Amino acid sequence: MQIRCTINSRPYRFECEPEERLLDVVRRLGMLSVKKGCGEGECGTCSLFFNGKLVNSCLLLAPQMQGAEIVTLEGLQKETETIRENFAKEGAVQCGFCTPGFVMRAYDYIIHEGSKDEKRVKEALDGNICRCTGYQKIVEAIVKSMS
Amino acid sequence: MSLVGQSVVRVDAASKSDGTLEYTDDLDFEGLYGAVVRSTIAHGNILSITFDETFDFSDFVIVDHRDIEGRNANVMLTDDQPFLAETKVRFIGEPILLLAHRSQRMLKEALKHIDITYEPLTPVLTVQESLDCKTLLYGDDNLFKTIRTEKGEEPDYTALKSLEKHYSTPHQEQLYMETQSMIARYCDGAVRIVGSMQCPFYVESALFALTGKKIEVEQAPTGGGFGGKEDYPSLIAAYVYLLSKKAKQDVKLVYDRAEDISFTTKRHPSALHYKSHFDETGKLHALDIEITLDGGAYVTLTPVVLARAVLHAAGFYDCGYIKVDARAVATNTPPNGAFRGFGAPQVIFGIERHMDDIARCLGISPMEVRERNLPHSRSVSVTGAKIGEYTRLRTLFETTRKASGFDEKEAAGTPYKGIGMALFMHGGGFTGEGETLLASKVWLDLHDNGMVEIRIGSVEMGQGTLTALPQIVADVLALPITMIRYHLPNTAKVADSGPTVASRTVMIVGELLREAANALKEALGRYGSEAEYLDAVRAYLKSGAQSRFQAAYQKPDTVQWDEEHFYGNGYDGYSLGCYVAEVEVDPVDYRVRVSDFYAYNDVGKVVNPMMAEGQVEGGVAQGIGYALYERIAYQDGKLRSSRLSDYSVPLAADLPKLHIAFLNTDEPSKGLGELPMDGPAAAIGNALTHALDTAFDNLTITPEVVEQKCR
Repeated sequence: MQIRCTINSRPYRFECEPEERLLDVVRRLGMLSVKKGCGEGECGTCSLFFNGKLVNSCLLLAPQMQGAEIVTLEGLQKETETIRENFAKEGAVQCGFCTPGFVMRAYDYIIHEGSKDEKRVKEALDGNICRCTGYQKIVEAIVKSMS
Repeated sequence: MSLVGQSVVRVDAASKSDGTLEYTDDLDFEGLYGAVVRSTIAHGNILSITFDETFDFSDFVIVDHRDIEGRNANVMLTDDQPFLAETKVRFIGEPILLLAHRSQRMLKEALKHIDITYEPLTPVLTVQESLDCKTLLYGDDNLFKTIRTEKGEEPDYTALKSLEKHYSTPHQEQLYMETQSMIARYCDGAVRIVGSMQCPFYVESALFALTGKKIEVEQAPTGGGFGGKEDYPSLIAAYVYLLSKKAKQDVKLVYDRAEDISFTTKRHPSALHYKSHFDETGKLHALDIEITLDGGAYVTLTPVVLARAVLHAAGFYDCGYIKVDARAVATNTPPNGAFRGFGAPQVIFGIERHMDDIARCLGISPMEVRERNLPHSRSVSVTGAKIGEYTRLRTLFETTRKASGFDEKEAAGTPYKGIGMALFMHGGGFTGEGETLLASKVWLDLHDNGMVEIRIGSVEMGQGTLTALPQIVADVLALPITMIRYHLPNTAKVADSGPTVASRTVMIVGELLREAANALKEALGRYGSEAEYLDAVRAYLKSGAQSRFQAAYQKPDTVQWDEEHFYGNGYDGYSLGCYVAEVEVDPVDYRVRVSDFYAYNDVGKVVNPMMAEGQVEGGVAQGIGYALYERIAYQDGKLRSSRLSDYSVPLAADLPKLHIAFLNTDEPSKGLGELPMDGPAAAIGNALTHALDTAFDNLTITPEVVEQKCR
């Protein structure tokens, strides 16, 4: 089926199979910051903005992309610059596979809530799994990005 | 100012956080996708394989064991594991056939049209069934390995008290966020392997056995390993190699999460039996320990995991007589393997729970029992070697005890709240003669622009190698870190510095790099500024002298090992940990919350404090998961918890604020990768035992377990 949508403010028109996942489609189109971690909405590595809402792209199907506005980390480089710098400076990056997803989650949290309360930040991270860091430095980087 | 000891920002942080770093599945790829056809029964003979005639298999590449030119054996410690099953299968998920196709969708479809019939044999699914030997899976006793060690004189038991207890620990899944992934690049009849791995030279050597040829192996950026990418990638590299060779095209194989959880190696479950004899003050006089590990269907790394369990089984406590009987058994479950800690987290749970149980038995504080048994200058370890770390261990114990306010909190006895400690060590590097057998080498290449290039096989998988090792080299040469180059290894271009495992990278490889850097520095002569350095480099290289500086591992005199009697000092050095957990139990739903956690460590000189803290935070999180959350469930040999929604790992909100400290002595740097995984489960088990005054001897301590214990 043919899909028309915008990804990172650019119009896209492409063919896809109806059962394809959004995750696979955006990766095929070159948005490789979107990673495949679990395929069932548990780990958050494939996070992207879908019509303004942060979602796990492994849980949506390609037909849902029709007319949608999709933004991945590739399209948010400027907006996430401070967050990314703080992730590096605070030691919140280890193997890095989950990091783009966490940067997206941090950006979403900061623009929508922005409370520096560590407990709130931790709760906001409940859709993202990191197996390397123990999250502490991720939380610190997010809090620092709000100062 | 010295670069070693500074929190240098990771060199790969920017490319990881902006999403531009390309992991295996992100690399340019034009070719076929691979898939593995696996056994659906736990034990049996393959009778026939039928391809459905109504399905068109003509454009599929199909590989079975007959396509292997060399040996069908993934040789690690032994050669019992075939790459592809020939006539027999030994676990659910054992690879039998390989398929490749351009379309992943067609590949999935094709899997439904292959029918394998078996003659089922009785599966051996538990350790007890294996020990009963009614069905033989390995040798004439189903034992992959036994180790027996005994040191000291048996005491006169008459005036002593005794305690006998069983403890157990379960499987644990590494759950690296990037699943196992491998690509074979095909070019003019030759195949090059690129993928996610910890040990490129292990993969090279496995492919050598498979093909009789040296195949180039390149590590791609690797999204975590924790031991799960130590030996396993050799199998998947062989699969893409075989498919690519037959297809004459590139082949990529990326496991999905359920496949990864179900069929790759995990931490060995253990059954532990501790019998101790002690006097009324809590002083240990004898320890009799039995360790049984479930090895799964093939030997893989199990004998070494068992050895490490034995070496850590008595902790560093002073005890006149120690006997250990350890064995690893074969079962018809997926082979178990390396996972951060490598046999130590199991037995540290055993010995540290047991120290608390002795205290409970005597009605004294767990601190008192530990204090009475701290080693001194004459104390010897489980293998008869002097415990040279006795002063460091005592300092660490006292510092942590005080900082955590342990004694007051323990005495307080608040309902549903508890506090527990674990005091432990971890040997860095390979056990026994292992490092000597590895004979690791490093190269440092000096370029005419003054750049120094590290060429070794050690990998970055998240732990910070790409930053820490250049720090060490730059430190010796008094250069900025930007003058040191270090790329992910390709076996055709680097020295074999050994595998990236066993907390050996900074401790062993870092030390070799320091040696090579010192040789380089000496060759250049005196220089003050960077400009003088560049002049010295030009002058040196102009003289036509060797631009490669090397160092190779040589066994220090302190390491003396007798493998046959399991006697001597099995390690180059030990790192130490003292962890305190505070827990709260919800009296309504029996959930356990770790409310505070102290992780104090002595790892000698800390190379990069920020990254070191990161290692501890991550290791403790995995340890908390091991204690309270992570549960692998098998049913009739089939893994029932193959998804992330079934296998819970800690999330951010599940973890307490960690208090982390390093004693940061001027001793040489010791291993740190594994240490923080060793202690948390024991500290939490002890804290829960304190909170509810009932012993928690078996992991995983889920709310259901707590509820049952409280009945």
